[in-house]
Amino acid sequence: MSKHHLGEFEEIVMLTVAILYDEAYGIAIIDEMEERLGRKVSIGALQTVLRRLEKKGYLSSRFGEATKMRGGKRKRYFTLTSYGKKVLTAVKEQRVGLWNAIPKLVFNE
Amino acid sequence: MNKNILPPKLPLRFFRWYCHPDYREDIEGDLLERFERRMNEKAVNAAKWGFFTDVMRLFRPGIIRSLEGNYRLNQYAMFKNYFKVGFRNILKYKLFSFINVFGLAVAMSICMLIMLMLADQKSYDQFHKKKDRTYRILSKMPRSMTPNASSPFPLAASMRENYAFVEDATHLVPRVGGDVMYGQKNQVIRGYFADSSFFNVFSFDLEKGNKNTALDMPNSMIISREIADLLFADENPIGKRVEFIDRALHIMDFDDGSITGSNPVDWGSFTITGVLDGQKHKSHLKFDVLVSGTSLQALYNQGKLRDLSNYWEWYSYCYTYVVLNRDIKEGDLANALDELVIKHYADLENIRGLKLIPQALNNITPGKFAGNPPSLRLPIEAYYFLGFLALVIIISACLNYTNLSIARALTRGKEIGIRKVNGANRGNLILQFLSESVITVFIALIMANLLLMLIKPAFTGLWANQYLNFDLSGNIVVYFLFLAFALFTGLAAGTYPALHLSRFKPVSILKNPGKEGSGKFSFLKLLSIFQFVVSLFFITTSILIAKQFKHFIEFEYGFETENIINIPLQGNDYQRLSNVLSAVPGVSVVSGSEYIPATAGGHGIGIRKLGSKEKHTHFQILAADSNFVHNLGLKIVAGNNLPPVDKSDRFILVNEAAVKALGYQSPTEILGQSFEANTHRDQLEVIGIMDDFRFRAPFEDDKIAPLMIRNQLKSFNYINAKIASSDISGTVSKLEDKWQQIDMAHPFKYQFFDDQLANANRWIGDIVSIIGFIAFLAITIACLGMLGMTIYTTERRTKEVGIRKVLGARDLNITFLLSRKFLGIILTAICIGIPLSFVVNGLWLQNFPNRVDFGFDVMSLGTLILLILSLITIGSQTFIASRRDPVQSLKHE
Repeated sequence: MSKHHLGEFEEIVMLTVAILYDEAYGIAIIDEMEERLGRKVSIGALQTVLRRLEKKGYLSSRFGEATKMRGGKRKRYFTLTSYGKKVLTAVKEQRVGLWNAIPKLVFNE
Repeated sequence: MNKNILPPKLPLRFFRWYCHPDYREDIEGDLLERFERRMNEKAVNAAKWGFFTDVMRLFRPGIIRSLEGNYRLNQYAMFKNYFKVGFRNILKYKLFSFINVFGLAVAMSICMLIMLMLADQKSYDQFHKKKDRTYRILSKMPRSMTPNASSPFPLAASMRENYAFVEDATHLVPRVGGDVMYGQKNQVIRGYFADSSFFNVFSFDLEKGNKNTALDMPNSMIISREIADLLFADENPIGKRVEFIDRALHIMDFDDGSITGSNPVDWGSFTITGVLDGQKHKSHLKFDVLVSGTSLQALYNQGKLRDLSNYWEWYSYCYTYVVLNRDIKEGDLANALDELVIKHYADLENIRGLKLIPQALNNITPGKFAGNPPSLRLPIEAYYFLGFLALVIIISACLNYTNLSIARALTRGKEIGIRKVNGANRGNLILQFLSESVITVFIALIMANLLLMLIKPAFTGLWANQYLNFDLSGNIVVYFLFLAFALFTGLAAGTYPALHLSRFKPVSILKNPGKEGSGKFSFLKLLSIFQFVVSLFFITTSILIAKQFKHFIEFEYGFETENIINIPLQGNDYQRLSNVLSAVPGVSVVSGSEYIPATAGGHGIGIRKLGSKEKHTHFQILAADSNFVHNLGLKIVAGNNLPPVDKSDRFILVNEAAVKALGYQSPTEILGQSFEANTHRDQLEVIGIMDDFRFRAPFEDDKIAPLMIRNQLKSFNYINAKIASSDISGTVSKLEDKWQQIDMAHPFKYQFFDDQLANANRWIGDIVSIIGFIAFLAITIACLGMLGMTIYTTERRTKEVGIRKVLGARDLNITFLLSRKFLGIILTAICIGIPLSFVVNGLWLQNFPNRVDFGFDVMSLGTLILLILSLITIGSQTFIASRRDPVQSLKHE
């Protein structure tokens, strides 16, 4: 059993943050997920996960510049930490390992 | 996009409230961004609804701020910081701190004294088990302002028999006062007739004897432990027989020169059935003796007491107490009493309108003033009055704190700015300033406790206190109340400065110190004016009352009192005593009188022309002999003096006011006329007319009422001995020797007539002391506040003064310049205070008998005192400032 356990939603959030690279703030992440996965995400659900991941050290965040939009409030940009990247890679390798272990028969019927 | 549409306020505020402060900004931004986008895409309501659901769905554990955790730690550190800064501030500005602490301490000590007094009074009658269900019945006549503590004799029995909700009722008849004798020992005792229901209503415990049976048998007596010790020493008093000679002494041992007793009547022998320790029972009922109510019947039969057990109209005869069953309301009792009044008073013309009113036992001490009380207590109205005075002083002290804190805002401004920049919000700053004021007040509390030790003896030294017996030791509850009171005072003093100072904007403070707070000066002025108005009011009031007091002390009574001593007879035969005492060398004239004129009391009588049917004219009557007229130097205008005692008591002397009241033109017309009185069938004949003189205390009557002097030896209570010898004390001790030969039982008592007259007015002296003290405090606090303000202002203007001096301004100009603002305050206060004092004092003065003039002299003296004190305060500072070397001032930073 791996010590880096990631929930499904957590994994998706981390992946989306990775996709958006330098532009990953709350609304952008939601938009990206809605677009790519076609699933509705509430701010509440996303923010809780983001804070949790940050606390675990998978993500780091920084404030952007304040603009006239958003009532003058700054955006908080999230990026993967190297630890986060390692965990994500580990998860991916686990998956790949699992895929590879599937007998060819199962999918080539 | 329509910029005017904002997100719904309530959800946004809710979000801001619950969200963890670290996340608040960016998540709020996200919410707003989404809302703005939705506004462009959808209807306004849909966007608002979306915003609302987003907020609601954010309300989850990861987002909601924690209730405790690291934030609390921080708070603790901040509190430590507040206290540290608070103490530093107090130490740094020693003068200001002293002004604040001193003013508050003085004011608090006064409040604490009143709290101690109230705590003492509240502890009365707390030992009764049924105290919450016990009521005293008061009787009130429509013409009198206050009710009487007493009630009719048959009331208790009637309540007990006719009303099922009355658990028990008892009454106390204060008609026992005289000498108790056991063997060779003799003691003066005062007390009540009481039924056995007494112990069912009250929870007095007997030290010896059985309280269930002690008052059952006729001629039984319960005595106080004090009397038991004096009479029986080590013997067991129970079952002993004592003799009792009644002298109709009043229940209160209070020699005010009024009618104190009557001729001794032997009531026979009594058996001691109980001993009660009065010291252990703190009650409004004080007595040396309780005599069983069953003893009354025999005394009625022998004609030694008048049987009033069926007389409803004698409402001043006894004290009635009722215990109600549980869950019965006071209203039921009041209704029952109304019913009784209708039943028993419908036919009684002369006391129509009498009311019987229940008064809860808990409301007796401290309670509203009631006439004819069983013991002397300060009525609750007096506490309201004292409390009001204390409140004025404490408000004045709090205003000082407020005033100085706000005035010094400039010095604190930078600190506030820095704190705000570092992230303190307004709540933190309010907390900081409040904690500072609370620290100040707690320091003041310590000082107030020290001051309290000083004013306690001063207070107990007041003349009135020898009769009120305050126990000011206090208890743990009172001390907790002190703490709570201090906390409250701290908050009261600190709230306004805290709210005001915390409102400062950091940017404007740091950029432009000195701008904030300047607009507040009109408010500060208002506070100062208030203080000085109050001070002036109290100063003029105390001068006025002192003047009134002086007027009474030096009052022209119209008779001589010099070297006359008044000796209470204490039950001795007048004739015998006067024969002995007049033989003492150095005593010139000895006379007898019923009471001492112009001190207290007196009683009335109605007379009319013999045989006529006209209305009775109300007279005051005084029993005295012919020597009394000589002794007091009363002038006989027409006719003769009273004949010597042995002749007849038919003859009366009347004063000139009586001549007019009876409708005669000149004194000679009334001479020899005969009259009849409404109380007895005697014929009275006018033998002489005296000049008017004041036979009532000056505060009682403005005019001199009709008076008659009648030679009734039986009624005499006092011997008035005029001492001719220059060796007064030697003569008095000779009188004492003679007294002891006649009466071994009672110690020789005497008072100088002059002192007695002064004593009758002493209560006014007490009021002068109290108001004068309050005035002193008010002006001290106001001047201290003014001093603080002046020092502060002159300090701030040091540089300005320096520049002005360099440019050629003279010292006096500068003094005036610096003082101008304060002088304005003082003058405004005088303009307000003088009319205020005039109107308010006029209210009570206009109905006051023998009043003094209240006008220019009092006002100008008061104003002068205020002006001198405030000018010294202001001038001392401004003058020093103006004299300062400009070189030094210009260097000042």
